[in-house]
Amino acid sequence: MADPYQILGVTRTATQAEIRKAYLRLAKKNHPDLHPGDKAAEARFKEIASANDIVGDVKKRARFDGGEIDASGAEVHRQPEREFYRQHADAGSDFKYDRAWSGGDPLDSDLFAELFGSRSARRNPRGADINYTFPVDFIEAVNGAKKRVVMADGKTLDISIPAGVRDGQTLRLRGQGQPGVGGAEPGDTLVEIHINPHPVFQRDGNSIRSRLALTLGEALAGAKLPVETVNGVVQLTIPRGSKSGSILRLRGKGVPSKSGHGDHLVELQVILPDHPDDALIKAVTEWEAKHPYHPRSVEEAAS
Amino acid sequence: MIGERELIDAFEALESDSLQRWIDLDWVRPQTDGSDLRFDEVDVARVRLICDLHYELRIEESSLSVVLSLMDQLYAARRDLRKLAVAINAQPDDVREAIAKLTVTGS
Repeated sequence: MADPYQILGVTRTATQAEIRKAYLRLAKKNHPDLHPGDKAAEARFKEIASANDIVGDVKKRARFDGGEIDASGAEVHRQPEREFYRQHADAGSDFKYDRAWSGGDPLDSDLFAELFGSRSARRNPRGADINYTFPVDFIEAVNGAKKRVVMADGKTLDISIPAGVRDGQTLRLRGQGQPGVGGAEPGDTLVEIHINPHPVFQRDGNSIRSRLALTLGEALAGAKLPVETVNGVVQLTIPRGSKSGSILRLRGKGVPSKSGHGDHLVELQVILPDHPDDALIKAVTEWEAKHPYHPRSVEEAAS
Repeated sequence: MIGERELIDAFEALESDSLQRWIDLDWVRPQTDGSDLRFDEVDVARVRLICDLHYELRIEESSLSVVLSLMDQLYAARRDLRKLAVAINAQPDDVREAIAKLTVTGS
């Protein structure tokens, strides 16, 4: 056991007031409950208390100075094992004095909030997203539709397919994903749209393309013909002398979009009869002999 | 669990008025059993600490509110860290090594 004067950092001639002051300063500095992480603080504190027990008391100090008692003997006698608050407060995981004593609100752990998502300050991250591929009919993709699907987990999901949705576009259904843990928000369901091809229509951005077959006579004389569009059948006027490959535009009959409907583009295709007879061939040949024309002139000039 | 009388008898310097004031200040949170107060071992340890700080180390009650508040936050933070340590210990070796590396170098 070290010398009590040394422990308190005072001289042998120090006054009782000086000893008291030194003791209070050291005891405050070393109280184990104010140093929960410092295992040695308890030993230091007990040593300081023992030293003070001897030289802080005028009578005992005189006996110690006279050699009647020594520091270690006094220590055993004066400092029985005692309990410190930190043995309770610094153990276990939940503690009744965790709650702030002034307000009564729980001491929120900003530490965990920072670790697991400081932006939302949530303790638990939200549930996982579910990815899902959903096939949609061509016409439903153009005009929009409401679909009810049964997910892998048996849950029924209503999907609202917006008009004009594009192939490969992903719809986010908020809150329809995996549930969150411990009260956290659920994830989302991400539905990737796959548009089935259509036998007649083709999609080109917001335009719809289709072909219209004409007889030789319709192409030559012109006609008014029914044409199927995504909005139903419309009557299309074929001008007299229409050529194969020319395109007629049906304004506003295409895919709806925020900037207005797209158009339906009809490509004309002149179809000859399956078995042209001599009369037809003769008539056309005679006509061409009188009215020569040069459909390849541009191509010939280019080559 | 002990009653108010036993608690006051256990601490030489402690007076009934002071104890009541500390309870009013929410420094000590005994259970109530009718009109009787019941102190568990954590309450007793906390009263011992407050007695130490107040009677022995002469920390005034006005300063003691600050000291206790900071202490409660310190102990709560240490409990959080301990939970985190348990979680880290449950991770695979490479994860623990990576965390150790970062916490030691502090970068």
